[in-house]
Amino acid sequence: MNTNQKIASVFLTSRMRQLMVAVLSVTFGISMYVFMNSFMAGVNNEQTEITFTSMAHIKIFNELASEVQPILSELEEQSILIVNNERNIRYTEGIKNADALKNNLLHIPEISGISSQFNQNIFVRNGVSKRSASLSGIETLNEDQLFNTAEYIIEGDLFDLDKRSNAIILGVGLAQNIGVSTGDNISVITSDGISKAFKVVGLLKTGSISSDRNRALVSMKTARQLFSKNKSYATEVLVNIKDYYQAEIVAEEIRHYTDYKVEAWQEGNSQLDSSNDLRNIMAIAVSLTILIVAGFGIYNIMTMTVNEKIKEIAILKAMGFNGKDVIEIFLTQSVIIGLLGGFSGLILGNIVSRIIDNIPFEMPPLTSLPVVYRLSDYAMAFVFGLIITFLAGYLPAKKASKLDPVAILRG
Amino acid sequence: MTALSVNHINKYFYEPVEFHVLKDISFEINKGEFVAIMGKSGSGKSTLLYLLSTMDTEYQGNIAINGTEITGLKQNQLATFRNEHIGFVFQFHFLLPEFSVLENVMLPALKLKKKSREEIEAKALELISLLDIKGQELKKASKISGGQQQRVAIARALINSPAIIMGDEPTGNLDTHNTNIVFDIFRELAKEQGQTIIAVTHDDEFAANCDRIIELSDGSLV
Repeated sequence: MNTNQKIASVFLTSRMRQLMVAVLSVTFGISMYVFMNSFMAGVNNEQTEITFTSMAHIKIFNELASEVQPILSELEEQSILIVNNERNIRYTEGIKNADALKNNLLHIPEISGISSQFNQNIFVRNGVSKRSASLSGIETLNEDQLFNTAEYIIEGDLFDLDKRSNAIILGVGLAQNIGVSTGDNISVITSDGISKAFKVVGLLKTGSISSDRNRALVSMKTARQLFSKNKSYATEVLVNIKDYYQAEIVAEEIRHYTDYKVEAWQEGNSQLDSSNDLRNIMAIAVSLTILIVAGFGIYNIMTMTVNEKIKEIAILKAMGFNGKDVIEIFLTQSVIIGLLGGFSGLILGNIVSRIIDNIPFEMPPLTSLPVVYRLSDYAMAFVFGLIITFLAGYLPAKKASKLDPVAILRG
Repeated sequence: MTALSVNHINKYFYEPVEFHVLKDISFEINKGEFVAIMGKSGSGKSTLLYLLSTMDTEYQGNIAINGTEITGLKQNQLATFRNEHIGFVFQFHFLLPEFSVLENVMLPALKLKKKSREEIEAKALELISLLDIKGQELKKASKISGGQQQRVAIARALINSPAIIMGDEPTGNLDTHNTNIVFDIFRELAKEQGQTIIAVTHDDEFAANCDRIIELSDGSLV
């Protein structure tokens, strides 16, 4: 410890209560920063996780070309162009060779899972009760990898779909509406009027009521057979990637491999993205405000200390300590306050986060308030805390360094 | 040999009204001299001392200490110079109350960093016993008597063996007994160590025993 640091520590410890108050204000600011950000990140994660239980990060499907070329484009001078009844006609439906497309995408390293689906609207019928439903033909293994679908099957087993060609899994709401339970038989009617008998082998409960009232799952093979489509046919190919914030970039890459429409989740769900951003901004704004208030607290206390020690500063200067020494002495004090407050703030922030994490919050799929523990939040809180204490200490220190010792010593 | 030379010093105060404090002052002080600066209140004697101490730099004219021209040096250079060459004793002791007596004495030397901590401590203890305050060195500076505090302040002024020791009424707060002790110490330092001593004083008896008296009246030498 050099002379200036020694002086700083003596100055600091001579007023334990002031030191405690200053440290506590930093502690409070930093712990709030940690807690707010952990909590907001938890809420955001939970929100996106719920969303991605039924939605893939990237969806590839057959859509009408958005830019339709005019039938006649060249206009000769003095001629009149008349096209009657121009319309955009769909020539193809779905993706004819989904398997080839999937194979092409396999080598993109960001991709963590691919699954194809066959989605069509159908009617399900049990005796006289009839409901419309959206039927998904799924590749059970891939589907489970993407959406953890097996976790949401509350009766039966997802993989039973592969075991028999007439197996179907219904959403709980749908099953209730038509009055069936596992083991019962129903008939499915397609839009083309084809009817087939199925056996209910399980029930699905995702937590999204509208989807549970509406969904029916069969195996991919069964779906193709029902709609008499070729072996590799699918209505959409769903892709999950490792970091879902990269979805737009990966979507751009996928566009090199296919002419079908490639849509990242943000395109169809910008409200999700913006609400995440809003929550983050709010968390940062609130916690920074708290930190800045803590900074003013330190500024206040350091200014008081400088005023209290004004005679000592003059004496030190008379003895030959220069302006830099004085700045060092007072800055050391505020940095020590910052470090002490910083460490205790991180600990307190962690404790508060853990308490919040354990508060019961019964709203499926949540059981308690969501909190994530990210090292980056803690690092940022500490860095911000140090910067603010540094600034709050520097201004009074600068003022102290400019004191004229003569004016003070002469009285 | 000249320890201090002052050439045509003029100093003004501008607040609250312009006031010519020091009027064309020139003098020289030799090494080992014990000089008293006297004058009535407001004659400018303290102002002159603070100019000599390098802490006040707002003046016209030249000041040289030990052959070094200090006029025009920057604040930080002056601080370093002060640290090494000037010891200061104030009317009020001005010790750092939260530090022990020993630490107070050692501080200027720790700042100078010319010697190791052990050497500084040895030297400080030597000075403490020289000034007859042995046994108090581990007490806080605020916990000893006024006479002792003033002697600690003198020990602090001596720790770097400065060429010049300046005192602003160093005995102003002391009783006769303590005044005599302080005076004897100064006397001894000037005689035996060859250190120059300049003290502003009101005390005629104190001044009478000095080598020389510089008397100021209304900002001019008498």
